[in-house]
Amino acid sequence: MLKRLALAMLAAGSLFAVQAGAQTEISFYYPVAVGGPITKIIDGYAAAFEKENPGVKVKPIYSGTYQESIVKALTANKAGDPPVLSVLLSTDMYSLIDEDAIVAWDELLKTDSDKAWHKSFFPGFMENSQTGGKTWGIPFQRSTIVAYWNKEAFKEAGLDPNKAPASWNEMVEFGKKLTKKDASGNVAQWGVQVPSSGFPYWLFQAFTTQNNVVLMNKDGTQTYYDNPAVIEALQYWVDLSKKHNIMKPGIIEWGTTPKDFFERKVAIMWTTTGNLTNVRSNAKFDFGVAMLPSGKRPGTPTGGGNFYLFKKSTPQQREAAMRFAKWMTSPERAAQWGIDTGYVAARADAWDTPEMKKYVQGFPQAAVARDQLQYAVAELSTHDNQRVTKALNDGLQAALTGSKTPEAAMKDAQREAERILKPYRK
Amino acid sequence: MTRTLETAGAWLLAVLWILPLAYALWAAFHPAEFSARFVLTAPLTFANFETAWNAAPFARYFLNTIMLVTLILAAQLVLCTLAAYAFARYEFPGRDIAFALVLVQLMVMPDVLIVENYRTMSQLGILDSTLAIGLPYMASAFGVFLLRQTFKSVPKELDDAARVEGAGPLQVLWKVYVPLAKPVYIAYALVSVSYHWNNFLWPIIVTNTVNSRPLTVGLQVFASTDQGIDWSIICAATLMTSAPLLVAFLLFQRQFVQSFMRAGIR
Repeated sequence: MLKRLALAMLAAGSLFAVQAGAQTEISFYYPVAVGGPITKIIDGYAAAFEKENPGVKVKPIYSGTYQESIVKALTANKAGDPPVLSVLLSTDMYSLIDEDAIVAWDELLKTDSDKAWHKSFFPGFMENSQTGGKTWGIPFQRSTIVAYWNKEAFKEAGLDPNKAPASWNEMVEFGKKLTKKDASGNVAQWGVQVPSSGFPYWLFQAFTTQNNVVLMNKDGTQTYYDNPAVIEALQYWVDLSKKHNIMKPGIIEWGTTPKDFFERKVAIMWTTTGNLTNVRSNAKFDFGVAMLPSGKRPGTPTGGGNFYLFKKSTPQQREAAMRFAKWMTSPERAAQWGIDTGYVAARADAWDTPEMKKYVQGFPQAAVARDQLQYAVAELSTHDNQRVTKALNDGLQAALTGSKTPEAAMKDAQREAERILKPYRK
Repeated sequence: MTRTLETAGAWLLAVLWILPLAYALWAAFHPAEFSARFVLTAPLTFANFETAWNAAPFARYFLNTIMLVTLILAAQLVLCTLAAYAFARYEFPGRDIAFALVLVQLMVMPDVLIVENYRTMSQLGILDSTLAIGLPYMASAFGVFLLRQTFKSVPKELDDAARVEGAGPLQVLWKVYVPLAKPVYIAYALVSVSYHWNNFLWPIIVTNTVNSRPLTVGLQVFASTDQGIDWSIICAATLMTSAPLLVAFLLFQRQFVQSFMRAGIR
């Protein structure tokens, strides 16, 4: 009875909303992934958009980390009450399609300007946003991995402060010079730090790309974790601490790696371009930003979040959501967003805006991520992504802590991934 | 000799236990540069608290959390007391099966039920409200179980004596059982309040706006996974949000410890 009453009330509520008509409300999940007053920036964007587009109301909902956001979005979707628009990891694309939660953007693109918008993004970022000939995600806060180095530490070690390691061998060679021990034999400054907590697969993908091997196929139904070149890449990573002694052994915490860099506990760190603004305001020394060193080729995965449009929405909401996404990714705003947060502005013309040109002139490090994009590959993403990725993460951490050899770890991970992915192959 | 060892062991454990809290205090009251360097002369500052407080509407979050834990606790106490009384002292058909079902509920992790609970809240039309966060927890199996055991241990003679004096069933409950179970109530209340004060996943899923979100969800703005962590501000925010619980515990420490000893919850 109570339930029926509640349903009746709901129905009455939605009837009322239809009658009110002119107002289209789009709810928008946004995961908080960078520090600082980020929620205020997003609120500001929503308000500015509403001002320019009367009749549309944007309701930003801050949904925790990326992990919590996908849980929240899928829960709400299962209960029939999803958001209209959400920023979620680009790698969640297959999972969202499998859940039948999202629609492709293609059918909404009607005018020429819409189609041009859709083509304006860097191809590197679209790799994780398209499958089966359709576009499911619009790149928004995207990143790649870059190397930050402490120029003062380079100088002290007798290295050229303006030259970051360009190859795997150089990284080891530089790392040995940069690793400093104090009188009692404890390491005071490590050469290199590649974080391995949380999502080690992402950093590992840099090594595999540099070793010229991919981790999955384009359809997201097959992984290649036990490919010899993959194992070789892992061996190199493990050897950085085990053989060459230039990286702290064990699992390296992602969240505190920038802090270690600021405290001069490490001379070179690998982390996201999303950290650029953070490093810029907190490093008390001269620092450089470089592309990752090459193995057989240069390379990095892309990362970060895309806009997704949920299926359970009215045509008006979809149209309004598209306008909002288009507005959020316009060249000027993409440029400003990049400057405020350090994310890579996701389209080429954003880099031609006057603000961006001025910013890059004063701070050339900002352009490194863009220049590296030509070597970037899609981030590891498959069907049932969370579990397939976890298989790899567990294997990587087992190898890095020394509880398995790289070969055994990758074979186990591949076996697990095979088991999970089998049902998706038709 | 054993005594000295025991004292030393106790101190060691106490120090280990207090270390994280001590570190949080250190980091919160010093500028970020000193969060990993322990220099006694480091300047003290309140700036971290200021930044943390201004990063989110914490005043509102405090209010929400307090309303939430009060609402849940009040409902739990009433429901569990009545249910436990029935299970402990009344014979009715299906009692044992019903009680077994309550016990089964103890085995189910609340996280498993998230989707189903969300659907229910959505059908009731109360998504994004304090009631929606609290509702799934109000009929607490743990509370029913705990109170039933306590009520069972109350001597039947007291119950009989009260009835001879002419007390009705509810009066017996109120005058005999509830006062005797006071330590259990206190212990249970502490567990319940601290659990719901700290609960995170369900609240973040079922709420959307500042009007209903509790403190833990407010803390999410500091979870900047892409960018690394500023320990000073996180510590300040954590201290700030857990301070009421810590202070309450320190004030009523003696009662709590005694209640736990008697109630047998650890």
